[in-house]
Amino acid sequence: MTSLPPAAMPPSPAPPSPTPPTPPAGASGAPTGPADDAPVVIGDDTTGRSRAAIRWRRLRWPLTVFVVVALLVVFLAVVRPPTSAAPYAPDNPEQGGGMAVAEVLKDQGVRITHVTTVAEAVSAAGPDSTLLVTPNPSFFADDQVSALNRTGADLVVLNPDFGVVGGVSRNTLDSTYGEADAPVAPQCDDPTARAAGDLALRPGLTDTSTAGDDVRPVLCWPDGLGAYAYARLDFPDRSVTVVTDPAVLRNGTVLEEGNAALALRMLGQHEDLVWLVPDPMDVSTGDDEPTPAELSQVNELMPPGSAPVALIAVLAAVLLALWRVRRMGPLIVEDLPVLVRSAEATRGRARLYRAARARGHAAAGLRASTADRIATRLGLARSSDATTVVDAVVAATNRPSQQVADLLYGPPPADDAALAELARRLDILESEVHRP
Amino acid sequence: MVVTWRAAALMGLGVVPVLLLPANGTVLVWSVVVVLACVADLVLAASPRRVAVQRRVPGSVRLRSEATSELVLRNVSGRRLRAVVRDAWGPSAGAGPGRGNTERVRPAAGGSGRHHVDLPDGEAARLPTTLVPTRRGDRTAGGVTIRSLGPLGLAGRQVTLPVPGRLRVLPEFASRKHLPSRLVRLREMDGRAAVQIRGEGTEFDSLREYVVGDDVRSIDWRATARRREVVVRTWRPERDRRVLIVLDTGRTSAARVGAADSTGAPRLDTSIEAALLLAALAGHAGDRVELVAFDRTVRSRVVGAAGPRLMPAMAESLATVEPVLLETDWPGVVAQVRTRMTQRALVVLLTTLDPAAVENGLLPVVDQLARDHTVVVASVADEEVAGLRSGRDSVAEVYDAAAAARGDLERTAVTTMLRRYGADVVEALPDDLAPRLADEYLALKAAGRL
Repeated sequence: MTSLPPAAMPPSPAPPSPTPPTPPAGASGAPTGPADDAPVVIGDDTTGRSRAAIRWRRLRWPLTVFVVVALLVVFLAVVRPPTSAAPYAPDNPEQGGGMAVAEVLKDQGVRITHVTTVAEAVSAAGPDSTLLVTPNPSFFADDQVSALNRTGADLVVLNPDFGVVGGVSRNTLDSTYGEADAPVAPQCDDPTARAAGDLALRPGLTDTSTAGDDVRPVLCWPDGLGAYAYARLDFPDRSVTVVTDPAVLRNGTVLEEGNAALALRMLGQHEDLVWLVPDPMDVSTGDDEPTPAELSQVNELMPPGSAPVALIAVLAAVLLALWRVRRMGPLIVEDLPVLVRSAEATRGRARLYRAARARGHAAAGLRASTADRIATRLGLARSSDATTVVDAVVAATNRPSQQVADLLYGPPPADDAALAELARRLDILESEVHRP
Repeated sequence: MVVTWRAAALMGLGVVPVLLLPANGTVLVWSVVVVLACVADLVLAASPRRVAVQRRVPGSVRLRSEATSELVLRNVSGRRLRAVVRDAWGPSAGAGPGRGNTERVRPAAGGSGRHHVDLPDGEAARLPTTLVPTRRGDRTAGGVTIRSLGPLGLAGRQVTLPVPGRLRVLPEFASRKHLPSRLVRLREMDGRAAVQIRGEGTEFDSLREYVVGDDVRSIDWRATARRREVVVRTWRPERDRRVLIVLDTGRTSAARVGAADSTGAPRLDTSIEAALLLAALAGHAGDRVELVAFDRTVRSRVVGAAGPRLMPAMAESLATVEPVLLETDWPGVVAQVRTRMTQRALVVLLTTLDPAAVENGLLPVVDQLARDHTVVVASVADEEVAGLRSGRDSVAEVYDAAAAARGDLERTAVTTMLRRYGADVVEALPDDLAPRLADEYLALKAAGRL
């Protein structure tokens, strides 16, 4: 007996033998060999301290990165003053920003509230304050304009679109289009305008008020063609100022002519200034926000104690999630076997035939295979030629010789339908051939 | 640490005090109560690290037979252990639900191999799990996860212990059902049967009295003359011939064969079934069987095992043979056969009749083998391709049938070539290969070609 190579030596004790001829019915799978020598495991050789160390080692790098990023963010936030890039924003130091005017106003003791939605503006503005609406690229909805009108604050509107012009002026003003070439005098009685002096503001307002209107606008800086750049309406409780050229506020142009004087006088009337830089996506009006009184009404609609019960439900759901999220030990991995079907080669070849419209090849394969089977069945030699096979088939089936020859050795089919028909007729022919 | 559904339910019970005293403070107080209860439960739970675990697994089991993985748990924690224990096995091990049915061990829901355990301090319990493996080879167990819960069952501690376990899954040997009928035919060739098969390849066994039905040609007249009764000679098949089974584990053996609607099984598995049946039959016929699994190197080998040790050795060495995605080195096979077999032997090549692979691999070397040995090439045919052959319902199916027919022709051509070189070829569907190969062996034996 030759020595056993290692591959043939089973590392485990003798397995159950699939010994024929009497396969043991119950013994297959019965444990063999002593299993008691399996090792006994107590614990996983860790202590509370070592587990804490493992957790620390696992977490320290992510934690370090997180802390560094957090420190960086805090540092940048502290070092760099908050600025924005939004046009006309009070914290925008760029050419198109409004920071210059805002800083001067702050130095003069004006408290500036920077808001971006109508709702915030409505809640921040009130009587004895000024509400500035910077140029807005979008349209305000009608109810937003009326919400701005209702605040009781003095309203300063820069370069409004025509809907806003009508809305804030109670239709005593209308927009138009004008050009400004050189500075002109205000040519009106408004003290603010007179203080600013000559300005090159782009005009864009016309007076549409009639004698029946309660308050008629004061218009300044005309272009001589009936368009004005500045209008002021003094309602009994508040004033509305409309300026068509926002250059008065821009950092880049505020120092030209009397722009600064006009801006500071318009906006510095009150100690409180609400600076609205409209957000195009904003649709709020300040009306739909429930007031505390409304909030208590909503609570009255709910059954008493529903909020704490909801809280309990949320906490219970959190505990349920904690229960489900903890897996019972790790997943067990297993190498997967190769999953390639043997028939894929045949299918691929069929698709190639079809894609190339190789009906000749396909038909030849079907014919040769049928002829091969028929020849075997009729006891012909494998080397038999076509004539012998045809003669034998004719003898076995009583079909005309020409038909059999056409079927087995005819020309390739013209189209797919002909190929299918050929396959069907070959099947019929084969079924007719019986052993002689 | 873990919490259970009971903790969530306890939190949900907080609805009652909240309804009696609807305030956020009530929620806070109740949450504190729940957290304290959970922490108390956690502190009172037995430590899962102070449980002695042993996994007892049978050394090996036949594919698709039942085996039991048994965990032996001994509680040395000093407290009562209320726990859910998972005996983790890979998917192919086919672990079922826990099987324990005592007051200490009950099956637990949520997956395979899980047990509820309620064990007083110092006591031990067995946790049996049924395994019905679905893949041949070594199945390795995962860890043992113990989730130890406190007395209230609200919270607990969980740990996964690395408890080793390995189950060797032997080939199924489903083809053993064909063995009894083949053994009968083997005995018919033997002198014991009343009807004798006499011919080449049989050797003289003994003389015995003539009984009605014996072939008159086997009467030994000389012996009859010496004695007063008619005496016949009996014959028996040759014995102690050598059989070498070469299992091709190259890339073509990895392809799956089987019905179109199943995932099928690798060709190799069918080859192993055929090899096992042939080895059992040849072993019973008194021949010496050797086996080599080869692609570019020897993957497995059975040498020198005979009698009752043959089949266990075969099963054991074939258990871990897996297809390798390499082209088989046929000159290497020839060299293997030459070194193993010095005298004439039956060499059975269990491979694939893939025309391209055979033309480049087996054909150039088969004549070297056939010169010295009797060579049988056995190959598994694909049921799916057989199904494609008869498809006529659509144009696509006709093309499929044409491709299958073309493949058949090429295989026939290769088969013819192999036969011309002196090798016998057996090609059959997966279920038929083992019995067909056994029949081929019996035919060769009867013909005395071994």
